[in-house]
Amino acid sequence: MIALRIGLAALFLMVAVTVQTSVLTNIAVAGVTCDLTLIVVIALALSRGPEWGAIAGFVGGLLLDVVPPADHTAGRWALALAIAGYVAGLIRRETSSGPVGPLGVALTVVLGTAVSFFIYSATGSLLHDPSVDWGEFGVRLGIAAGYDVVGAIVVIPLVMWIMGRVQPARERRVAP
Amino acid sequence: MLKDLGTPARSAIRSAGAPLRATGMPRQIRRRRTVLVLVILACFTLIVLDARRSAGSPVEPLREAAAGVFGPLESTASSARQPVDNLRDRFAEMDRLKAENEKLKQDNENLTQELNTSDYARNRAQELDKLLKVAPAYTMTPARVIGIGGAQTFSHTVTIDAGTADGVHTDMTVMNGTGLVGRVVRTTAGTATVLLIGDRNSTVGGRLNSSMALGFVSGRGDVAGTLDYKLVDPKARPKVGDRIVTWGSSGNAPYVPGVPIGVVTSVTPNEGSLGSTATIKPYVDPTRIDTVGVVTGPPARPPRAPLPGKGN
Repeated sequence: MIALRIGLAALFLMVAVTVQTSVLTNIAVAGVTCDLTLIVVIALALSRGPEWGAIAGFVGGLLLDVVPPADHTAGRWALALAIAGYVAGLIRRETSSGPVGPLGVALTVVLGTAVSFFIYSATGSLLHDPSVDWGEFGVRLGIAAGYDVVGAIVVIPLVMWIMGRVQPARERRVAP
Repeated sequence: MLKDLGTPARSAIRSAGAPLRATGMPRQIRRRRTVLVLVILACFTLIVLDARRSAGSPVEPLREAAAGVFGPLESTASSARQPVDNLRDRFAEMDRLKAENEKLKQDNENLTQELNTSDYARNRAQELDKLLKVAPAYTMTPARVIGIGGAQTFSHTVTIDAGTADGVHTDMTVMNGTGLVGRVVRTTAGTATVLLIGDRNSTVGGRLNSSMALGFVSGRGDVAGTLDYKLVDPKARPKVGDRIVTWGSSGNAPYVPGVPIGVVTSVTPNEGSLGSTATIKPYVDPTRIDTVGVVTGPPARPPRAPLPGKGN
C-alpha cells in the first residue's frame, strides 16, 4: 500500500512538472503560469501530513530545478516547495482532524504560493542572480496566487480523492 | 529555530487510542522535524554544490537525466497544445478571420524581414565596398519550442526539441522568421535550453542599421521581452524607429552577424554620464515563439571573395 502511494505521488509530480513546463505556459497570464507542481505538493501535504508535504515538495521542486527550461541554481525550487509543503501539512493537522474546507484549501494555496515564491526569489537574491526583480515580485505573486487557486479547484479534490482511495481502511478518516 | 514549526496537534491515527497519545505525540513531532531539517539540509547542499558553476557542477548529470526523461514527455505534451491554442484563439478571434489573418501575417512577416535586412545589407555593402558578395546563408536546424519557463522563475529560457544528436551545441544562435530569439546555453542529446535575449543575463552586440554604430543590447527581464540598448560611442544618438541587427561575434559564436533584433521605441539620455540608453522592442514576441532555427553550419567566416581589380 505504501509503495502504491509513493508511486502515485511520484506519478502526480511528474505529470504536474511536464504539464506545467509545456502546456500551461501557453495559457499564461502576463507570463505567469499556474504552479501545478505546487498545487500537487499542497494536495499531497493536505492528504498525508507535513512529512509527505516536505518530501513531495523537495522532489517536485528538484524536478522543476533540473527539467530543461530551468537555468538557475538547482535546489532553489526544492527548498521553496519543501517548506511550502511542510507548512501546508501543518495547517491540515492543526485545523481539525477532519478534512480541510474549501476556503481553508484556497487560503493554504495562497499561503503556499507566497511562501514558495518568496523563498525562491530570496535565495536568488542571496546568490546574486541578476534576473531576480523585486519590483515585479508583488504583481507576479498576486497573479500567481489567483491563478493557483483556480488551478487548485480542479486539481486538489482530484489528487486528494485518489490519495484517499489508496489509504488503508484503518487510517481512513471519519467525517466529523 | 524550529520551536514554532511543530506545534502539538491532533492526529486521527494517534488520537484513536488514549495510551498511544502520551508517548506517540512527541515522537511524531520529532520525526516530522527531523524530516524537515533533513530536507532543508539537502536543499542547501544542492544549492552550494550547484552554485559554483565554474568548477563544473555535480548536478549536471542529474540535469542530463532529467532532460532525457522529460524531453520526450514535454515533446508529447506539446502536441496536446493544439486544442489549447485553438481554445485560446476562439476567444480572441472568429474562425472566418483566422485564415485571412494567417495569410496577411505571413505576407507581413516576409515584408518586414525584407525591410529589416535590406537597409543593413545595403549599408554594409556600401561600407565594405561590395566585398560582401551576398548575405551569408547559414545552415539552419529547425526546432520546436517544447517548454517555456514561467515568469515566477524570473529567467527567460525555453526548451527546444533539438540537441547534440541534431548538431546543436552551446553558444549557437537561435532565430526565427522575424528575428533573433537567443542563444543555446545547455544541450543534451535530444533537447537544448535557449536563453532568450529578454533575460537579464543576456547581452548581445547590436548595430544600428542607419548609422552602423555599435552598441550592446541587454535584456530587461520583463514579460514583453523589452531590451535596453547602449552605444559604445557616447556621441552617437539612436533615433526612435531605428532598427538594430546583431554585429556578430568572433567565430560566429554565440551570435552570427546580420540578424534583426528589434526597433528603437524611445531614447533617454544617461543621467550623470555621456551617452544615452534606448529602449528596444524586439521583433520576436517571447511569449509566442514556436518554430525556431538554430544556426548550426557554415559559413564559419563571412564569404570574402577577392574583387576583380582593373587597376592592378
